[in-house]
Amino acid sequence: MDASVCIVGAGGLGCPAALYLAAAGIGYIRIVDCDIVSRSNLNRQVLYGDGDIGRSKAGVAAERIGILNPDITVEPLEVSLSGDSAFTVADGVDIIVDALDNYAARYLLNEIALAKDIPLVHAAVTGYFGQMLTVLPGRSACLRCAIPHPPESTAPPPVIGVTAGIMGCMQAGETLRILLGDEPAARDALMVWDGKTASWEKICISRDPECAGCGSGTKNG
Amino acid sequence: MDDTVHVRAFARFREVFGDNLEVRVAVPATVRSVVQEIARMNPSGAHEILDGEGNLRKSVIVLVNRERIAGNGREDYPVRPGDEVALYPPVAGG
Repeated sequence: MDASVCIVGAGGLGCPAALYLAAAGIGYIRIVDCDIVSRSNLNRQVLYGDGDIGRSKAGVAAERIGILNPDITVEPLEVSLSGDSAFTVADGVDIIVDALDNYAARYLLNEIALAKDIPLVHAAVTGYFGQMLTVLPGRSACLRCAIPHPPESTAPPPVIGVTAGIMGCMQAGETLRILLGDEPAARDALMVWDGKTASWEKICISRDPECAGCGSGTKNG
Repeated sequence: MDDTVHVRAFARFREVFGDNLEVRVAVPATVRSVVQEIARMNPSGAHEILDGEGNLRKSVIVLVNRERIAGNGREDYPVRPGDEVALYPPVAGG
């Protein structure tokens, strides 16, 4: 498929998203992550094995999905999403996948997507629970409209591996829907997965004209 | 006069507070009085929904009758008997 996707974060969400987008034949996939593989990642970061501990996540991920589909181009980018240089990580792609693990970086990626007019497929997970939101710049609520204040906890949240797998696959599915011209499932809606009861909720979100991300920036709550 | 508000808790809040709660509050009620009553009914989980000053945590997403209630004045949003209040704590990991 003549399409390009930038996956930011090669962790629990980014691994399954990359696998299924590569298998679907997305022609160009950029994988952004500056981290290395550690043992505690292996319950959910399914592109990596025990022998990859200490290696670059972006590099190993690119290697593995390149084996899955050698007809596509995969570019690993070992950079952190911070500062002015962050604004170039998604240059030239059709869609950004937010597979990050913290809101400071997520808000920056949301800002980049809005500035560059690139659709953004956000997801996040904790324990058994996951959420997804799709941002179509100028045409839908953005991440800050949906979540103006991040959760207060700063400790890395525990994640059930399956939860990240489900949400990463949901992001791949949403990305394909957008690329194929279908209506995104999570436009103006937080899709919420509850793995304890194996059920979905859809929370409708409106674009906020006073949003700090895509609006006038005057609202605080 | 007391009356009942139906509360739906999503994700982590479902574990802490249970789902499909019936909460009795004095009328006129607000989002604030509903969440304070939920915290009173579940003191061990109160810190999950209220901050150290007893206010609704800013990160919690609130819906009344499936409509998102946001902004600085959201705790004063009126809730009528029979209304549905839904609460969702966004998640962060990846």
